[in-house]
Amino acid sequence: MNMVFRPLLRTYLPGLAAAFFLAGCEIDGGDNQPRVPDQGLFMYAEANRHEAEDSAEVVAAVFNDGEAVNLVGGDVFEARTETERVLLTKGGYFDGSYAESLPVDNGVRDVFFNVVHEPIEARADRWYPVDILNIDPGPGELVGKSAMVSFPQSVTINAPATDTFYNSINDGINLDWDLGNGGNMRVLASVECTDGLAKSSYGVVVDDEVEAGMGVDDGVHTIGLDKFIYDLDLGSSTIKFVSDAALMLLQELLNKLSAGNIDPDFLLKKREANPIESTCEIRLFLQRQLNGQFDTTFDSGTVVGSTSAEVTVIYLPPVTSN
Amino acid sequence: MATTRILLAIVLVSCMAFTVQAENMQLDVNLGWTSLDAGGSDDFKSGKALAVHYDYFLKPWLAADIGLYLTDKTLEQSRQDIVGDYRTSIQSQAILLGVKPRYRFESPYEVFSRLGLQYWRTELEVEEYFGTGIPGGTDSAKDTGYGYYASIGGAYYATENVLLQIELRYMKQLDVFEGKSQYPFDLAITSFSFGLGYRF
Repeated sequence: MNMVFRPLLRTYLPGLAAAFFLAGCEIDGGDNQPRVPDQGLFMYAEANRHEAEDSAEVVAAVFNDGEAVNLVGGDVFEARTETERVLLTKGGYFDGSYAESLPVDNGVRDVFFNVVHEPIEARADRWYPVDILNIDPGPGELVGKSAMVSFPQSVTINAPATDTFYNSINDGINLDWDLGNGGNMRVLASVECTDGLAKSSYGVVVDDEVEAGMGVDDGVHTIGLDKFIYDLDLGSSTIKFVSDAALMLLQELLNKLSAGNIDPDFLLKKREANPIESTCEIRLFLQRQLNGQFDTTFDSGTVVGSTSAEVTVIYLPPVTSN
Repeated sequence: MATTRILLAIVLVSCMAFTVQAENMQLDVNLGWTSLDAGGSDDFKSGKALAVHYDYFLKPWLAADIGLYLTDKTLEQSRQDIVGDYRTSIQSQAILLGVKPRYRFESPYEVFSRLGLQYWRTELEVEEYFGTGIPGGTDSAKDTGYGYYASIGGAYYATENVLLQIELRYMKQLDVFEGKSQYPFDLAITSFSFGLGYRF
């Protein structure tokens, strides 16, 4: 891609993507890429443990000169604790992203990510005898690269209470949580709206970019409901739809919490009901993030361990009279 | 070993019957469409097969059945996973040994079935491609073993010696690549065929 246009595209891509969302179109997750530098080898990895779940969602990707690198031929991400190990064999929402659930317990603090070459295990989902029929091109150049993250203190939400009702997008959600030990905070939310006939479902993220001060782990923050509910006809400049790896993480989390019954494209569904005129269930996932470390062979990276807790609130549109 | 003994027993019974009653033989040649199922997430396209049977009638309603079954190279749909693009194919041959009961109506029709054991030889081939600059290729492996087959069919006597027939067949190859791989499988072949029979 032309080097002049690439920065422009990166600048305007979120806006274009939002416009695409607001137009009610089916969303293609193919370019839901995290913001990565145009030059060099970039590592993305995140491990999130939700409340007291016995497994953590782990996601990872590598980018080279701004382009996601597909691990092929038996190269695969491995996520490991001292006692458990999984290969990230689920493809994520953009090329080169991978996800899996990693068993954890309260004693687990660190998760190690490695790129390994496992020509048989990586093919384990195939039906035929992969141990005798295996074209192995050998390890790729990313094999051996690694990163490490640690889980921050777990998140405990004190307010709002579950199923608190809100009637206006001008309302504020007063979030209150137990103070942590210096993590970075953000909110991921899945929103499902119905007007009785049609439905909409989408994901949003509220972080420091969207709301100044959100990232501070100070135990309280008020978030306007307009960060979650918008008018399909008018659009919104205040909403940041979840994308890139956060989308993958949230979808995986929803999938786990619903025992696999969530639509695999729940957060990318076509929007038909207008949220501002619909009853919406807003599942708020408050996340505490802690930066990890990546291999020095990477030029840059976003590597985080996170914990999360959930509370669900309800938006009921104001009653209108004819 | 048990399967081998059963096969030998069927051969012996057939030979003994042949010495007692050397008449009423039939040769069947059928062409058919196959559907393969390896029991996992496989997704094979429809294939073709040829079946040749020699029947020796021990009784008017019962024949010893010896056959040869050949499938063409049946391809799976191309697929993609985190390793790369891949496609498998299977080609199989089998020797069949069993019995064929039949019932002939007053009109020029009969119904029949087949039931017996098979000795199969199956070749599985995999093509894999990983993208630009990474060498892909093809790998294959063969195995032999035992299984069973069953079918039901109908025939129309075009003349006293020539029959037009259709047949629905189910064949199961047991434990393909057992002992060679940690991931053996059973291969089921379902086929619908039509063909000619000649009584002599």
